[in-house]
Amino acid sequence: MDIKLQIIIAVIIFLVLIFIINMIRKGQLVLKYALTWILVGVGILILDLFPNLISGIASLMGVGQPINILFFFGFCFALLLIFVLTVTVSKMSIQIKDLAQQIALNNQSNEKTKNS
Amino acid sequence: MKKLIIIPAYNESESIVETVQDIINNAKDFDYIIINDCSTDNTKELCEQNNFNVINLPINLGIGGAVQTGYKYAKENDYDLAVQVDGDGQHDPAFLCEMSEYLITHDLDMVIGSRFIKKEGFQSSLMRRVGIKYFTWIIRLLTGEVVTDPTSGLRIINKEIINIFCKEYPRDYPEPESIVVLLKLHKKIGEVPVIMRERAGGISSISAVKSVYYMIKVSLAIFIEAIRK
Repeated sequence: MDIKLQIIIAVIIFLVLIFIINMIRKGQLVLKYALTWILVGVGILILDLFPNLISGIASLMGVGQPINILFFFGFCFALLLIFVLTVTVSKMSIQIKDLAQQIALNNQSNEKTKNS
Repeated sequence: MKKLIIIPAYNESESIVETVQDIINNAKDFDYIIINDCSTDNTKELCEQNNFNVINLPINLGIGGAVQTGYKYAKENDYDLAVQVDGDGQHDPAFLCEMSEYLITHDLDMVIGSRFIKKEGFQSSLMRRVGIKYFTWIIRLLTGEVVTDPTSGLRIINKEIINIFCKEYPRDYPEPESIVVLLKLHKKIGEVPVIMRERAGGISSISAVKSVYYMIKVSLAIFIEAIRK
């Protein structure tokens, strides 16, 4: 890989990491969910700084083109992340349902005490 | 003995007043609570104008979430029996006394009002009946019990089942699934013949497009319930 390309990628990753950390600082992103993205950024940075790693893994797994390994990992990670999000959404929808029910019940009993 | 009628209502302005009047006149030893599932029409205003006992959900939860709100209300207010009566006028409150007596005398946990024991009154469309027969078949296959009308919303339950349903109740199309839950817990379910009317207003929550989703979702849910320990 060209040294120029390596530097450009490294700079982009750094900017993204700064952006994510800044969002956490401002409270727009929950650290728990941002952690995966930070780890991904660090992972890509490592692969960028040591490009021989990818070729090494590719030959170890018997994959001809090193780039395919990269696509494969990217795809697996994306699927994993989407699945984790689905789990989170399920949990949240149950919590929101319970909250809505409790609010409705409280409102009703408040109205009743107000009227009597 | 405190008995509660739970009336889930989503956009039922055409029939809600009649339904509730009918309940007040014909089911005198029952209290009632309307669960307004964040209707977009004037169901809420109609209930308030008529001084009906109503709980207004802040967001739309679907039929399962609405009915569960009713069960939570029953639990908080220490009711012994709770029964679901749909807000569209399909269920005749005249059967409620008979159903609650049947539950008490036969020491059952749940009594379902079934259209298909005497086969009287509104029998639903052919496609619906085929679907219902299929659920009867799959429930018998998985639990060995025969429930002739597993999709009936007219169901009365005792205190123990109220507690179970407060903890866990399916979100959409809850009826067949919750029957399997109870049968797996070895609860006793009975059926009483009832006559149902055609809905007085509003539209069914199960449209033609949704029915495919309905069949797949409920089948899967029943299957998962059946293999759960």
